[in-house]
Amino acid sequence: MGLEATTTGNNLPLRAADFPNLAAALDYAALGRTGCNFYTSRGELYAVLTYSQLREQARGLARRLRGLGAARGARMVIVADTHPDFLRFFFACQYAGLVPVPLPIPHNPGSHKAYVAQIQAMTRGCQASLAVAPADYSELLADATEGLGLTFVGTSATYDTLPQQAGELSPMQVDELAYLQYTSGSTRFPRGVMITQRAVLNNLSGIITEGMDMRTTDRCVSWLPFYHDMGLVGLVLAPLASQLSVDYLGTREFAMRPRQWLSLMSRNKATISFSPPFGYELCNRRLREGEAETFDLSAWRVAGVGAETIRPQVLYDFAEALGPSGFDRKAFLACYGMAECSLAVSFAPLDGGLSVDHVDAEHLALLDHARPATDAVKERLSQFVNCGVPLSAFEVEVRNAAGDVVPERHIGVIHVRAPSVMSGYFNEPEITAETLSPDGWLNTGDIGYRVDDSIMITGRSKDLIIINGRNIWPQDLEQLAEQQPDVRPGDALAFAVPGAGGADVAVMVVQYRDNDSDKRAELIRRLQGLIHAEVGVDCHIELAPLHTLPRTSSGKLSRSKARQNYIDAHPLNQAGVQIERQATAVLSQKQAG
Amino acid sequence: MQSKEAILDQLYVLIRPYASEPIELCAETGLINEVGLDSVKVMELMTQIEDHFDISVPLNILPRVNSLGDLAEQLQQLLKDS
Repeated sequence: MGLEATTTGNNLPLRAADFPNLAAALDYAALGRTGCNFYTSRGELYAVLTYSQLREQARGLARRLRGLGAARGARMVIVADTHPDFLRFFFACQYAGLVPVPLPIPHNPGSHKAYVAQIQAMTRGCQASLAVAPADYSELLADATEGLGLTFVGTSATYDTLPQQAGELSPMQVDELAYLQYTSGSTRFPRGVMITQRAVLNNLSGIITEGMDMRTTDRCVSWLPFYHDMGLVGLVLAPLASQLSVDYLGTREFAMRPRQWLSLMSRNKATISFSPPFGYELCNRRLREGEAETFDLSAWRVAGVGAETIRPQVLYDFAEALGPSGFDRKAFLACYGMAECSLAVSFAPLDGGLSVDHVDAEHLALLDHARPATDAVKERLSQFVNCGVPLSAFEVEVRNAAGDVVPERHIGVIHVRAPSVMSGYFNEPEITAETLSPDGWLNTGDIGYRVDDSIMITGRSKDLIIINGRNIWPQDLEQLAEQQPDVRPGDALAFAVPGAGGADVAVMVVQYRDNDSDKRAELIRRLQGLIHAEVGVDCHIELAPLHTLPRTSSGKLSRSKARQNYIDAHPLNQAGVQIERQATAVLSQKQAG
Repeated sequence: MQSKEAILDQLYVLIRPYASEPIELCAETGLINEVGLDSVKVMELMTQIEDHFDISVPLNILPRVNSLGDLAEQLQQLLKDS
């Protein structure tokens, strides 16, 4: 077909995001010869978009969007498939003075209804004026936007037929929004993080220089969703703002054929890629006998790990299995961040591999103090991955429940302040005020401690459940239970517990009056089915007698107490084993074999 | 052209290892709520289906697939078009 991927290396000096806005970043990248390449699940290159082509197409499209008469700063929701069209629309918004809002794509069988509700909640929540989806999802988008009074809804093909408005384009400026990012797929709590041009470019500069020390010889590969903060900021905007070529594989295509990730890394001698731990785990699980040596991963210098609790063993196993490919475990780069900070807060030192802090678990549980383990034989150990040193633009404080800053190695909630922190949650002043102080300190909701300049994360104070890098709100699980005729509001509490390998496992305790074992088993099956269909995760369901869910001193239901009770009643390993047994047979078959 | 029943028979074989409990598989069996597939396993199954039938399964068909019968009908259509 004559398609040729864009080159590694450029005819331009690397500039590290020192631009006033994203449009200017693309203007500069367009002077070079690098760009984006898109591959099918079988590894065929099906589209190439140089930054120069992207700029030209985005500007043309921006003129069509201008013609629709949407106000400056109006929101455009973009169903974010891994496809050149996403980039065209995202940057058309930049040039047209609109705010792009990436939306997730549906991934589950039977999820039509749940997905429509989700997209509807997000579109309504950000008061979008415009919407676009790939042709495959146009029917879903039409259902989701019906009655919301949008100015225009279509596919990229229908947008391309609109007339272009003449005149100068006026791109989004430094204090205007760069995009709005939804932090989870929750239908009840769609929270749109507002990120300005100044914020994202500040973070990109830190990522490019301090975090990864990107060079013109680098090349990135990504299968992360474009609607995910790490996928969008880390692997779309960071390469663009440093003028590097990227090879993209769709997220679902990765999930189907994870080894394609490694093939792509090998093929173009890529140097940078990121994944939550589960991505490395999935690859390792699917690796065939003797296959590792067919890959060449010797150029891979930054194997970023983030977005969920980092489980070192999963990564050690990956490195061990891929040893014959030349993969160097020193490439693992632990990082910590969140959409509310644009993306990155801290990175471990480059070329250092994972560094794990071993602490006395008993002492930690009793005194909230991470005392280094001295006698591994006698003590029960907890281990935490060092998430590295905050970028220089960040101030970090670890605070206790009273709000006081605690000393090194003492546990508290991590607070950060930086130019890259969000302006707030769109149209949610109350939730914003709970999270972001007037003087700019963001309560991350993550619990951890500091050692020297480094950050270790030990847990979360907010109720978020994170599975395979996806944020899941417990309220969404609880609502599914409460919608059942035999369960009442306030009868369900959902939370995350550490499973066998340390990854989050979702658990929901449901109060239920009937003692009939058939009815009980049927309810559990029904709830698990619903949760699979609507949320796409395994969830352990435990039935409890009426009036037994724990409450806070003020009488509110307490997820954290329910969680603690559950953990106390199911010593760690047992809980993991039991959950896995209740989940599905596949994993355990694989482990056994 | 393969009949829906013939496709279903092949699907039962592919899906059987994923069933969390020894349930009876039939056209009405729900892929998610009865077989118990999570999102990662759905993808694993789709890979096996692609390899077995030698077709490419566009994943946008999935949101409207509830039962094994729905899946068989979609595959029948894809096989006819391929």
